[in-house]
Amino acid sequence: MPDTLSVTLSALADPTRRAILARLAKGEATVNEIAKPFDISLPAVSRHLKVMEAAGLISRGREAQWRPCRLETRALKAVDDWLSRYRRFWTESFDKMDAYLAELKAKEKGK
Amino acid sequence: MSTRLADDELLITRTFDAPASLLFALWSKPEHMKRWMGPANFTCPEVKIDFRVGGVYRVMIISPAHGENWFGGVYREIVENKRLVFTFTWDNGPSAGVETLVTITFEEKGGKTVQTFHQRPFLNVERRDSHVGGWTSAFDKLAAYAAQIAKEHSA
Repeated sequence: MPDTLSVTLSALADPTRRAILARLAKGEATVNEIAKPFDISLPAVSRHLKVMEAAGLISRGREAQWRPCRLETRALKAVDDWLSRYRRFWTESFDKMDAYLAELKAKEKGK
Repeated sequence: MSTRLADDELLITRTFDAPASLLFALWSKPEHMKRWMGPANFTCPEVKIDFRVGGVYRVMIISPAHGENWFGGVYREIVENKRLVFTFTWDNGPSAGVETLVTITFEEKGGKTVQTFHQRPFLNVERRDSHVGGWTSAFDKLAAYAAQIAKEHSA
C-alpha cells in the first residue's frame, strides 16, 4: 500500500502546486483559469494537476468537458494532523528539557 | 513560542536557562537525552547514539497508553555547540516511513541559549531544489492561507 502521507507531502513540495492550491482555496477553477497567472504551458499545468489529483489534494469534475478542479480538504487535513503531532511531541519534550535543566542546575548549586 | 512557516514544516524557537554547550550535550549524550525526550506521560528508556556525521541514532519512548515507539535517523551535520542536523523517522504509527530533516541551532547570550528547532519532510531532489528562493515566498504564504481555508471548510 502506498504511503499516502508521503505522496501528499511530495505533491506539496512544489511551489507551483502550492500556488495552484492557494488559487483553488478561493473556489473551483478550470485548467485555463489556473494556468493564467503562471508562465508555464497548459500541458505543464495539467501534469501538476494530475500529481495533485493522485495525491488527493484536488478533485476534477467528470461531467463537464472543461473539468473544473476543486480543493479536497482531507489530504491537507492529514498533513495538518501530522504536523500537530510533531508540534506536541517537541513542545512537550522541550518542557521536560526545561525541567531537567533546572534539576541539573539545582544539583550544581547543592555541591 | 512557535511559528508556522508553511503548511508542512515546523519551527519552534525557545530560550533555555543554560549554556549552549549543555544544550548540545542534552541532544548528543544518551544519558542526558533519556531524561527529556518524548511527550508528557512518556519515558525514554533506550537511546543509542553514534555521534558523528553519517552516524546513526536509535531512540525508544514508551507510555502505558501507547506502548513502545521507536524512531531514529542519521546525523548529517555536527557543529559543536552551534548546529545539529539529522534525519528523523518513526518506525511505526501514522507517520512511519516519512523521513524528516531536523535542523537545530544554538545561540548563547548571557548564559541563556536560544534553541531554534526546524523540522520538515525530507523527500527528494525536487523538493530540495524547490527550496531555492527561500521560505518566505508568497507561495508559502498562499499555501498557509490555503491550508487555513481547507481547515475552515472541513470544520
